[in-house]
Amino acid sequence: MANKWGMVVDIDRCIGCQACVIACQSENNVPINTEGLYNQRRAIQWMRVERYWDGEFPDVKARFIPIMCQHCADAPCEPVCPVFATYHNEEGMNVQVYNRCIGTRFCANNCPYHVRFFNFWEPEWPDSLKNQLNPDVTVRSRGIMEKCSFCVQRIRRATRGDREVEDGDRALNPACVNACPTDALTFGNLNDENSKARRMMDEELADDGRGYHLFDKLGTNPNVVYLKKVEEGAKEGAHA
Amino acid sequence: MGLTRRQFMALFGGTAVSAVAFQACGIPEHEMLIQSPLEMPEDMVTGLDNWYATICGQCSSQEGIVVRVVEGRAKKVEGNPDYPVNHGKHSARCEAALQALYHPDRIAGPMVRYGERGEGKWDEIGWVDGITRLAAQLEALPSGRRGNVVVLTNPEDAHLGHVIGRFAEEFGAQRLTYETLESTNLRAALRYAFGDDFMPEFDIANSEMILSFGADFLNTWGSPVRYAKAYGEFRQGDRSRGKLVHVDSRLSLTAANADEWVYVEPGMEGLLARSIAAVLIEEGSAAPGAANSVTGGDPDGFLSKFSPDQVSSQLGHVTAQKIRDIAHDFASHQPGIAIGGGSAGAHTNGYSNLAAVYALNALAGSVGVEGGVMRNPAPFMARPASAERASFGRLRRLVDDMRAGRVDALLVRGVDPMYSLPESLGFREASYNVPLIVSFSEMLDDTANMADLVLPQNSPLEDWGSSVPDPGTGVSLVGFQQPVVRPYFEPRGLQLGTKNFGDVLMALAKSLDMDLGLEGETFKDVLQASARSIWESNRGSVGTTPASSFADFRAFWNAALMHGFWQDDSGAGGGGTSSLGPLPEHTEPSASGPSGAGTFDLVPFASSALGDGRGAHLPWLQAMTDTITTTAWQTWAEINLAVADEMDIKEGDVLRLSSGFGEILALAYPHPGVAPGAVCVPMGQGHAAYGRYAEGRGSNVLDALALATDVETGALAWAATRVQVRKTGDWVRLPKFENTKPDLAVDEHHDVIRLTS
Amino acid sequence: MQEHVQLDQRTINDELLNGVLGFRSWWMPALGISVLVFLAGAAAFGYMLNKGVGVTGLNRPVFWGFFMVNFVFWIGISHAGIMISAILRLNHAEWRRPVTRAAEVLTVFSLTAALMAAPLVHVGRPWRADLWVFPYDFARGVWINIRSPFIWDPSAVMTYLTASTLFVIIALLPDLAIIRDRTTGWVNKVYSVLCLGWRGTPRQWKLQAIAGILLSALVLPVFVSVHSIVSWDFAVQIGVEGWHSTIFAPYFIIGAIHSGVAAVATVMVLMIWGFKWQNYLGPDHLDAIGRLLIVVGVTWFFFFFLEWIFALYTLEAPDIALRELQVFQWPWSGLFILFLITAFFFPVGAWLFKSVRRNLWLMFITTVSVNVGMWLERFLIIVPGLMRRQHMVFDWGSYHPSMIEILMVSATFAWVVMGMILFSKVFPLIPLFDVKEAMVFRDETKIGRRTVPATIRE
Ligand SMILES: Nc1nc2c(c(=O)[nH]1)N[C@H]1C(S)=C(S)[C@@H](COP(=O)(O)OP(=O)(O)OC[C@H]3O[C@@H](n4cnc5c(=O)[nH]c(N)nc54)[C@H](O)[C@@H]3O)O[C@H]1N2
Ligand SMILES: Nc1nc2c(c(=O)[nH]1)N[C@H]1C(S)=C(S)[C@@H](COP(=O)(O)OP(=O)(O)OC[C@H]3O[C@@H](n4cnc5c(=O)[nH]c(N)nc54)[C@H](O)[C@@H]3O)O[C@H]1N2
Ligand code: SF4
Ligand code: SF4
Ligand code: SF4
Ligand code: SF4
Ligand code: SF4
Repeated sequence: MANKWGMVVDIDRCIGCQACVIACQSENNVPINTEGLYNQRRAIQWMRVERYWDGEFPDVKARFIPIMCQHCADAPCEPVCPVFATYHNEEGMNVQVYNRCIGTRFCANNCPYHVRFFNFWEPEWPDSLKNQLNPDVTVRSRGIMEKCSFCVQRIRRATRGDREVEDGDRALNPACVNACPTDALTFGNLNDENSKARRMMDEELADDGRGYHLFDKLGTNPNVVYLKKVEEGAKEGAHA
Repeated sequence: MGLTRRQFMALFGGTAVSAVAFQACGIPEHEMLIQSPLEMPEDMVTGLDNWYATICGQCSSQEGIVVRVVEGRAKKVEGNPDYPVNHGKHSARCEAALQALYHPDRIAGPMVRYGERGEGKWDEIGWVDGITRLAAQLEALPSGRRGNVVVLTNPEDAHLGHVIGRFAEEFGAQRLTYETLESTNLRAALRYAFGDDFMPEFDIANSEMILSFGADFLNTWGSPVRYAKAYGEFRQGDRSRGKLVHVDSRLSLTAANADEWVYVEPGMEGLLARSIAAVLIEEGSAAPGAANSVTGGDPDGFLSKFSPDQVSSQLGHVTAQKIRDIAHDFASHQPGIAIGGGSAGAHTNGYSNLAAVYALNALAGSVGVEGGVMRNPAPFMARPASAERASFGRLRRLVDDMRAGRVDALLVRGVDPMYSLPESLGFREASYNVPLIVSFSEMLDDTANMADLVLPQNSPLEDWGSSVPDPGTGVSLVGFQQPVVRPYFEPRGLQLGTKNFGDVLMALAKSLDMDLGLEGETFKDVLQASARSIWESNRGSVGTTPASSFADFRAFWNAALMHGFWQDDSGAGGGGTSSLGPLPEHTEPSASGPSGAGTFDLVPFASSALGDGRGAHLPWLQAMTDTITTTAWQTWAEINLAVADEMDIKEGDVLRLSSGFGEILALAYPHPGVAPGAVCVPMGQGHAAYGRYAEGRGSNVLDALALATDVETGALAWAATRVQVRKTGDWVRLPKFENTKPDLAVDEHHDVIRLTS
Repeated sequence: MQEHVQLDQRTINDELLNGVLGFRSWWMPALGISVLVFLAGAAAFGYMLNKGVGVTGLNRPVFWGFFMVNFVFWIGISHAGIMISAILRLNHAEWRRPVTRAAEVLTVFSLTAALMAAPLVHVGRPWRADLWVFPYDFARGVWINIRSPFIWDPSAVMTYLTASTLFVIIALLPDLAIIRDRTTGWVNKVYSVLCLGWRGTPRQWKLQAIAGILLSALVLPVFVSVHSIVSWDFAVQIGVEGWHSTIFAPYFIIGAIHSGVAAVATVMVLMIWGFKWQNYLGPDHLDAIGRLLIVVGVTWFFFFFLEWIFALYTLEAPDIALRELQVFQWPWSGLFILFLITAFFFPVGAWLFKSVRRNLWLMFITTVSVNVGMWLERFLIIVPGLMRRQHMVFDWGSYHPSMIEILMVSATFAWVVMGMILFSKVFPLIPLFDVKEAMVFRDETKIGRRTVPATIRE
């Protein structure tokens, strides 16, 4: 059976350290987010850590959640793309073909998770910094959409020539997963019943588990599963 | 009308055509080329890559990394999965080592100043020339004044530290090492609580509860990646979920992740720790021996002084019940760990605070037990006496010496004193009295910018080196740093480009006809000789292979470089509480600076991206958002939302923070997680130089500090300043990632982050 | 009460061709200004091509802005043509006759303006959009994605554009022949070709009439589909909860008619002023269109109201948050009030008075007001919708158009004005034959003691 890739994100482990964010930027040739890009609200973070406030001093909470493309099985971003620049591959991933994208930004509007990022400008690096760019990953020009690819180039490299990969192989794992110091992120083949990610999903999506899909009522059927944050005395979320 | 209809039409047509032509020219040629239609290039990876193990030199936790190299260029940094410090994990800071290597403003070769100091006028010279000039100047000093040469470096404990130490000793120079966020108080407290000043090993993963005071250990303090890795297990490992209570004057990342954040005013952490100790002792949950020694044999006196009711009234914000609850939790959640550091150890009573915090471990009986605090064995290499970390008080004497002309030459490596010491200390002015300043920095940082001679060292990824990490990992460990790529400036030839600092010192010693007593000609030889002695000792292992089973040294050396380290766990698990003495007296913290309306406790903190400022030249780190405020690229001031409303301060208002000793500007970021009496400002910005990404950006919060020091140790009390906050009337858009609109990001219905108990 | 002015053929020809064969004094300055504005927009577009979409105010999450607003707006205006020509023709509304041509031409130009506003300037890589999506990219063998509304859109718009253009041409044939007969030299040759050999034979008249009626009937589904499809650009999006509503299609259509008919009324007033055509267009026509507008406007308002009810009835946090934003948060609240007043309360209220409906100036002001309001309506649907205050509160953000966008949006207005002005120079804006036909069909009936104007049916 073909592979089907998925991820489990344990919010109770995540400390909001941003290692995943920078690892992703490094692996995937994400343009440098200059001060201007932040001010224009055009910074690109395929992986981002959101921070939500709850309450006021001294009974205040700041909670974090890392969010990347959910690789929805029923991805709303896909049907609206007029040129099939974003489509589903056989491995359950939502892929983005930069060459084909014409930059309608339709997909970005229709992604409920806001994980699609548009290159409003041509990315720029000083010449010497270009030495660091990953040769396996396209440098996107302006006018096109980009987003988390589950580090498809790493999967391709690890499975090159029908090579068998072990679950949790660091060559296969996305950059963010390898970086995450708390092991909040677990990546694996969901078609492999013994993979850690699959086992976690089976276990945690069961009735008393902590698993949930982000905005599950939208029916996007993501391949990313979140595990609830544990807080003493917390009431279950509205949709739990 | 001078224009006929026909002319008009012709003109109109012409303009339209040229408009179209103009548009067509606007498209760069490459974008018109037809490209692969069906697959992403990512689907068609080709080419070979290699991963080389080495040590990350980006911060003091010194993790083991592997670096992906394609065609001689470093492409990606990841944690070394075998390395005992970080087990394959890494921080954003490590990642940016690539940008340090390929920084567009790196110094490309030795330079000598020809303009005024700081004017930025440099002549490039060759290495032979550079070293000869330096040697000549040093040689010219009368032998009695050799002690006036100061070698100022970052703490380097391993082989490079040994070479520096040898050079300093042989030459007769003073050697000083320092860190901005100095560990003087911490080490003194560790010595009090555990008998030696090596960082102990916190067995967070197996702990039931962590009680932390001021130490942002998940983010910037100690060995954050190591702790974070353990924290993941602490929360959701095989054991029941551990509990984290964090006591701090600021909502740090660690505080945000804690089950409970307990706010205390800066400097009051020790009082709270004492009161918790008092409850433990009073209720008999403290180890009797420890209780006796901590209280100096007078438990009743201790209890009456630090009873929760007493302390609660002093703290103001913390009820007596809360203190008891924490103490009960700590007693019932054993093994537990008490950690202290950061701002808790940076007040005028910092040492006394931390001593009380670390004593809690002994009281709770968690020293030397699994899930508690383990003692680390003495590091593999004895730290040379000359490598003693200078306290702030020592640096103050240095500045006095400089001012008085008692410093003839300043050799600076791995530190940036012009930036990282408070402005009011006067290092910069005093430096004008130093005839020779030599910098060995890779970048023109604030100090190199004021130097007379710059002899640039290699970037860590192109350099040899080693690491004996402290905080250690509970075992004897030597990490090997190898070049993963050839030096970037190597094509410029032998005379230009950058060199290893150890090699430069050894070459300098040679020019000075000094015998450093080192084995070999280069720093790599020194490293190799040391590795050989390890191999010969037959101790420990590389990977899973015992050192003794390597047939020859070559095989051992290659394996050590491949795995990145050698370790010996035979002496692991050193436990047992050494006899604690009585707890040092609690002293009241005393803050300097203005008081009254509109004044606040200034709570500086190490930026998660830039640290104490070392990372400021790297665009990834500049662009990395602070998780709490989502802000990047700037110096912001966190201020309580309600207080800001009262003072009519909006996000982005430029605030002037003045302490009377200095002042800085910062952009307001009001949020609900700041205590009403505090204003929190990150370190790291405000460089006068340091490359295009750092220069002239934001403010250096150290410049606002009063020169307060710890009453016992003389350490800089960087959390003991009060400031007056005023609006300047200017407004600057705050570069941040979260929503721009007035309401806070509140996940009202827990749609995004779901909770469970 | 309609009054009949009976004119002879020669006068009709002279007066209605005054712009084509003669030269109106305002013509040149008006054209000049619109050309300049258009060129400014074209230059802005060139600048954007050179630098990237970054020169707009768009951002994350507001990925669509002025261009999309403008696209929807012009598609809306384009509904004038069919409403007036097809529906009123099938209904035998007599007052439509002098207005049909202007309405259809407005349709054609606003459709091209819409095409300019969205597919062309809006996308990140226009040079690719126009080659790869339309026409189909055979060379690369990559299908376009027919599930995407952005494929439905161009299909519907192109169909509509084709039909409207045919409409204009067929109705033009008899008039072109008249011009041919009154010109000489190369101009004559051009019109000879354009009128396709029109001689006015009974067979030709019959064919022309049948073609007109057939096109009217065939174009009706397009009328429904075009704006439905435009609305689906938005309604299919589950990522934007404020848009994800089944009522969008009818709501958009009625809104389009509201703005389109109002635009026709504006053009009528301009024609009376510009060409002194009060003998053909007058208070009667304005009165009639005013009454039509009341019906359309009120229906539109009903749908607007329904859309709100639909949204609020869900009690979904994102919907409520969006409405809250639109109504209570500055500057959206200000725009919202302005929108309600200009699109509905002011004009529809005013039209209730006959004196208003028969007054050129007041009709001009009220109908322009409708389109100001309807532009704002689209803005308030698109931008606050996209700001998406919920679910991801962390990510929501605002939008300010840049000068570049404003210039390009202005250019589409200039384009339509320019098109109409140039058209009026080459073709009559009031169909001569239609007016003459009306005169032929005219009669008077006696009701009691009064004589009332009436029309004989074909
Ligand atoms: N330093 C160094 N030098 C080398 C080599 C090396 O490895 N290192 N390799 C050597 C070898 S093996 C070779 S083959 C040569 C190659 O040397 P060149 O032929 O000079 O190679 P390129 O730079 O690949 O291509 C030349 C130009 O052709 C343009 N071009 C691309 N497509 C077209 C097209 O369809 N039509 C036209 N007219 N132009 C087009 C490109 O934009 C580019 O500017 O270099 C030799 N020199
Ligand atoms: N992306 C990209 N790909 C290209 C091109 C491009 O421009 N861009 N250019 C294409 C062209 S034109 C060419 S010619 C090919 C070149 O492609 P390759 O033939 O792969 O070229 P090289 O990498 O230069 O050399 C191959 C190997 O030969 C080794 N070598 C050197 N000297 C000797 C020797 O004396 N004996 C042996 N046995 N080995 C030796 C080198 O160390 C190297 O490992 O690349 C093609 N591929
Ligand atoms: S998360 Fe967004 S971008 Fe990713 S597949 Fe789902 S809809 Fe598409
Ligand atoms: S932006 Fe690109 S990927 Fe997204 S819908 Fe448009 S063409 Fe497709
Ligand atoms: S999976 Fe890869 S592309 Fe996706 S967020 Fe992680 S590092 Fe980035
Ligand atoms: S690296 Fe891991 S812990 Fe850090 S922010 Fe990302 S997911 Fe959270
Ligand atoms: S935390 Fe520091 S030493 Fe560690 S690996 Fe990261 S940058 Fe390097």
